[in-house]
Amino acid sequence: MDLSVILSGQLLASVLVLASLYALVAIGLNLVYGTMRLLNVAHGELVMLGGYVAYWGFAQWGISPLISALFAMAVAAAAGALIYIAVIRRLFRSRFQARVEANSLLVFFGISIIVQNVTALAFTANNRGYSYLDDVIAIGDARIAANRLAALAVASVACFACALFFRFARSGMAMRAIIQHREAAALVGIDVDRINLQVFALGFALAALAGALISMTQTISPFMGFPFTVSGFVIIILGGLGNLPGSIFGATILAAVEVYGVTLISPSFRSILVYGVFIAALVLRPQGLLGRPIKAR
Amino acid sequence: MTRRGQSVVALALAGVALFALLPLVVGPYALGIGLGLLMWIALAESWAMFSGLSGYISLGHAVFYGVGAYATVLLWQVVPLWLAIPLSGVAAGLLAVCLGWPCLRVRGAYFVILTLGVSEVVKYIVIRTEAALGRQGRLLIGTPSLTILFEAMLVLAVVSMIVLYMVRSSKLGAGLLAIREDEVAAEAVGVNATALKLLAFTLSALIPGMVGGLMILRSTYFEPLQAFSPTTSFTIVTIAILGGTDEVPGPLLGAVLLVLMSELLWARAPEVYMIILGVLLVAFVLFLPEGLLGRAQRLRGPAKS
Amino acid sequence: MKIALAFAATLLATTITAASAQEPVKIGYAISKTGPFAPAARTQLQTYELWADQVAAAGGIDVGGTKRPVKFISYDDQSDFSKAPAIYEKLITDDKVDLLLAPWGTPFHFSVVGILEKYQFPMVGNSAASVTIRDIKPGNIWFPTSAIPDRLAAELVKFLQAQKANTVAISTLQLPFSLEVKKFLMPALESSGLKVVVNDEYAPDVKDLTATLTKIKQAAPDAVLMLCYPPDGVLYLKGARELGIVSPFQLLLVGPADPFFEKTFGPNLDGIVTMGHWSPFQAKWPKARPFYDAYVKKFNEPPDYLDSALAWMSIEILEQAVKTAGLDKAKIRQAISTETFDTINGPVKFKGVENVITPTMFLQFQKGQAQIVWPASEATAAFEPKPAWTK
Repeated sequence: MDLSVILSGQLLASVLVLASLYALVAIGLNLVYGTMRLLNVAHGELVMLGGYVAYWGFAQWGISPLISALFAMAVAAAAGALIYIAVIRRLFRSRFQARVEANSLLVFFGISIIVQNVTALAFTANNRGYSYLDDVIAIGDARIAANRLAALAVASVACFACALFFRFARSGMAMRAIIQHREAAALVGIDVDRINLQVFALGFALAALAGALISMTQTISPFMGFPFTVSGFVIIILGGLGNLPGSIFGATILAAVEVYGVTLISPSFRSILVYGVFIAALVLRPQGLLGRPIKAR
Repeated sequence: MTRRGQSVVALALAGVALFALLPLVVGPYALGIGLGLLMWIALAESWAMFSGLSGYISLGHAVFYGVGAYATVLLWQVVPLWLAIPLSGVAAGLLAVCLGWPCLRVRGAYFVILTLGVSEVVKYIVIRTEAALGRQGRLLIGTPSLTILFEAMLVLAVVSMIVLYMVRSSKLGAGLLAIREDEVAAEAVGVNATALKLLAFTLSALIPGMVGGLMILRSTYFEPLQAFSPTTSFTIVTIAILGGTDEVPGPLLGAVLLVLMSELLWARAPEVYMIILGVLLVAFVLFLPEGLLGRAQRLRGPAKS
Repeated sequence: MKIALAFAATLLATTITAASAQEPVKIGYAISKTGPFAPAARTQLQTYELWADQVAAAGGIDVGGTKRPVKFISYDDQSDFSKAPAIYEKLITDDKVDLLLAPWGTPFHFSVVGILEKYQFPMVGNSAASVTIRDIKPGNIWFPTSAIPDRLAAELVKFLQAQKANTVAISTLQLPFSLEVKKFLMPALESSGLKVVVNDEYAPDVKDLTATLTKIKQAAPDAVLMLCYPPDGVLYLKGARELGIVSPFQLLLVGPADPFFEKTFGPNLDGIVTMGHWSPFQAKWPKARPFYDAYVKKFNEPPDYLDSALAWMSIEILEQAVKTAGLDKAKIRQAISTETFDTINGPVKFKGVENVITPTMFLQFQKGQAQIVWPASEATAAFEPKPAWTK
């Protein structure tokens, strides 16, 4: 395989774009898991919803997807809060604590079915796409469409903002505290319920942002969400469950494997490679490549 | 056996006999629904014998179904069908042994995601293999009649329930339940967790493998994306959780409920059918979190568990 | 007395005939209305709906000389072809339909073959293409398409040679149809002397084609053959433009025939070659343009040049067969197997299950319209090298 291709800026650009988008998806997923030990199998559907809001904004009113993204985030945050209040909180308060994990899987599965099919009903099942910020920009030896560059920029800023939030904001620090040790966090006076609510809102909003950005680069359809859910899971495992900076690391690894890996071996092995790396990582180092040994239950 | 135990067995036998006679009474469409029902029962009961009892939720059980289907396709017209189907089960079991050894070291949510990933990777390996073999989808011509498939599936469903019952009441079952409670403590009192998990995992794969084989004979066309579809895995888990994962009647109830809901809604309102299904799922979890069986048992009052 | 009797008899006979003439013909089908294949199946479903409209406006279809109204019964197969056999069995035994229309897609067609055989119920297929169709015993299903992978591969090579191409890059999606085309294409390319400079495969769910596209850009072949499906076709078009792939011959196997592509890519779709054997601009086929116009009028978008055209052809074949043979299955079978049909795609005649008249062709988008550019005997326009991508 031609070394110059591997080292080219072209591939690097692709890895960065993919990694930044994956990171957004993963952080949200990881937040929900880290704080509440819930696996949101409907996460990909939120990405899909973000995509549709952006598409609709552009197709109907010509609003830039970068602006619609904000609206998408607001909608998703509201949806997250609603789901937490109406459903998840009841799950936690039910007397069948042993089944919370299993039941949460079922609840999110139900939610994903609802979201997919409501979207299909509302928008018909057609593929949708649009062209926005289409100019091709040359940077060094790489040529990249402006919309992918914009996606990279916005996603990176968002990840950075998240990092700051978790580091310096009270809510962010509270979230980290809960991830580290839920009981202790409650003991020191953190209102776990309120933070949980914020976690859902934030996690959903990040996914929707990713979706809005992704909609600039690929077609969207009501059933596009599941691969993002699976990728999200792979990433949070690689980076460590509950390890937020790890999500960015895991996202980069996944993107690198996807882009560089197929260059080295063959695109026909892409999925096998991705899952293979993931399984190997999980089996050899169950807490993730970066994770501190975190109790799974 | 207790009086109650005797009447349960008698009832069960009667039920099975009635079912066996179904092909004589109903038309092909209803029989097809019956086949689907039996399929989900067999799959969910098998899933419960590992995941339900041990608490290790497998979200990738479709991998065994798919491997069984693939095995049957490969053995089609190479060996007679009465041999091909059990061999498909064996193939699934072998896969379980290979997968179980690395995967069962992982616990909790990690295990859940891992099983999902494993199912996907096997799917892509099969796609790659088929591509390398130059095969693009496989069409089976001259498959057995629906009645034969129905009766075979009935056998599998009944066997799955018997096996679950036997596992549940055996030392294996007790060990699995102990693992579910607290694996570390269980090991401390001498439970060989690794061996038990592996055994149960393998057992839970055999029947789905055979089910996959039978169903590919029904649909006559093998295509990896469909055979290994994550929807199958999710539906199995849904049925088991809805109905109750611990006891034999649980998955049975769950399967009946799901098939009933599907049939009532599907033809009448295709687009909203799935939405209603999703809403019902969420509602069930909120209002019947212990599953149908759990609620039924609670209503009956504190009796033996 | 005799006159009264005769009169009464005539009245009775007329009433009975009129009553049965008014009894609707039941036509059933299942199609992916929900699930991942719904977007792809949509254009076929819309074609069926267009026909339903026209039939209703005409007051029915001609059944062996008598006009009878039609009742359509359609179900959703939820993009799961393992459900299709049960649904078709239900249509036949429960709903007791008189005629069947095909589902969408090759796996769905194949999965219902068993049921059609079991009930000896003839059905005209449409959106299916695979060499496996020749394994099926003729008599209950027929395939009007000419885009069978081995024929496609052979014609494509001839097409490339006519363009004096020397080097070829191929990238293939690992799904049955695209793989089947590749299986026949590779040996055909080898024996033709065309040099394959890039040969990649990729799994479904791919998110990024940069690696392959970079290789292709570097190799700068005369022809780029993307054996793809719509989602990856979209990735290709975006990525090829980004990287600036300038090969004069660029083929996307499946996708551009769907109006979605033209809507999304506009002038960037011009020059792209795709599989297909129908264009509304072929003057030899007088029915083509009216179908196109009617479809555009109802749905505000052009029909899918592959799936919609095939669906309509299957409808025309069925209509013409029923006109001569009535509803008797044996007679319909006889009619479909032996007659030559006049369709929007020209004449169609079956030998076994395959259509032996329609040649294998290729389409190219020029100024947003699908033109037939190969072979010369059927072409509506000449092949044009791919123009530059828009800035």
